[in-house]
Amino acid sequence: MADHLDFDGLVTAYYGMLYQFAFSLTRDEASACDLAQQTFCIWAAKGHQLRDKTKVKTWLFTTLHREFLGTRRRESRFPHIDLDYAAAELPAITPPSVNRLDSAQVLKALAQLDDIYQAPVALFYLQDYSYNEIAEALDVPLGTVKSRLTRGLSRLHQLLTVTLTPPSTP
Amino acid sequence: MNRDEAKDILLLYRHHHEADERDPQIAAALAVAKGDEQLAQWLEMHCARQFVLREKFRQIAVPAGLKEQILSEHAASQRMLTRPAFNLQRALVLLAVIVVALLAVFAYSHRHPADDTLAVFQNQMASVALRGYAMDLLTDDAGKIRAFLKGKNAPADFVVPEPLKQVAQSGCAIQGWRDTRASMICFRTGKPLPSGAASDLWLFVVDAKSVKGAPASSVPQFAQVNRLITATWTQDGKVYLLGMEGEADDIRKFL
Repeated sequence: MADHLDFDGLVTAYYGMLYQFAFSLTRDEASACDLAQQTFCIWAAKGHQLRDKTKVKTWLFTTLHREFLGTRRRESRFPHIDLDYAAAELPAITPPSVNRLDSAQVLKALAQLDDIYQAPVALFYLQDYSYNEIAEALDVPLGTVKSRLTRGLSRLHQLLTVTLTPPSTP
Repeated sequence: MNRDEAKDILLLYRHHHEADERDPQIAAALAVAKGDEQLAQWLEMHCARQFVLREKFRQIAVPAGLKEQILSEHAASQRMLTRPAFNLQRALVLLAVIVVALLAVFAYSHRHPADDTLAVFQNQMASVALRGYAMDLLTDDAGKIRAFLKGKNAPADFVVPEPLKQVAQSGCAIQGWRDTRASMICFRTGKPLPSGAASDLWLFVVDAKSVKGAPASSVPQFAQVNRLITATWTQDGKVYLLGMEGEADDIRKFL
């Protein structure tokens, strides 16, 4: 499909998912728009260098992620919460409980993850990417992606559990 | 693989995702879940949870107009890319014009404001005569001198005053004067010449347009220039400068 896409076609096909990925990383609409737009600008300037046009989608996600890493400000992060990532010790949150959350809450939890976990987790949920494709998009080895996904998903689930747990009354 | 190890692996499992199911580690963990009822129940809930979470991510609303904004910005940038080529061309032309103009102004301003006046011409030609020169042609044949000068695009159709025609010529040279050439015709009056000298009377001829303040008529104007007494006049669009060492009366007899 990407073989025959002109710029307009490419934007039409991917701008939505790129924005969602960008928003999941930044949680800021303007920044996400900028990232998506910048990604297409880079494509317009350098896309011709991509020999394998079937990799357009991966190229776009890779580029957006690099732009995010390159341009983000070193803001004061949320307090680091040291969580055990072992799935065996994960509290059981039920799907209906998760369903009570809205996207903003999920993304807020995602933002509390260490930086290296955010992008793989976002791609894991947003796209039907295989682990290999996520590794390719983020330019990291497959084993690293799996490791980061395991830790990232564990921490995300724990943070969501905290979010869903009503504060105890004295 | 025990239950806890399988759970860690299955955290990455997405239900009905072919690539996930092809992963050997996940396939092995799924096999464990098949024989472990507790793990199977956990997996079922996990898959449902993953599905809900995936939907939460996918519910991120894309701002209306983003696509149009991207396309619009791209179109604008394309225009900017084509415009600089045009602007660059114009800028280069403009720059060239400015440079030429500046050079012209510079050259003009650094040119002596009166360096093409009669006085300067007289001084320059007198210096040539007094400080030494090399004749381009040594001959007493007036015809050859004219032919030589003509061949060098120097004034050759000059009019020699009748008295001067009686004086022997010894040769000629061409002197640069601003953007043109001045003919220098050398005469020998017959007086004893200093050692090494070949002439003692010189006639310079140049286009009148190149000399500001040249005499308006053919009536000679006399002036002392350095050690030379000079007579200057204009005739048929040419400025004539006759010079020799001596007094005004000395030069009058050649006019």
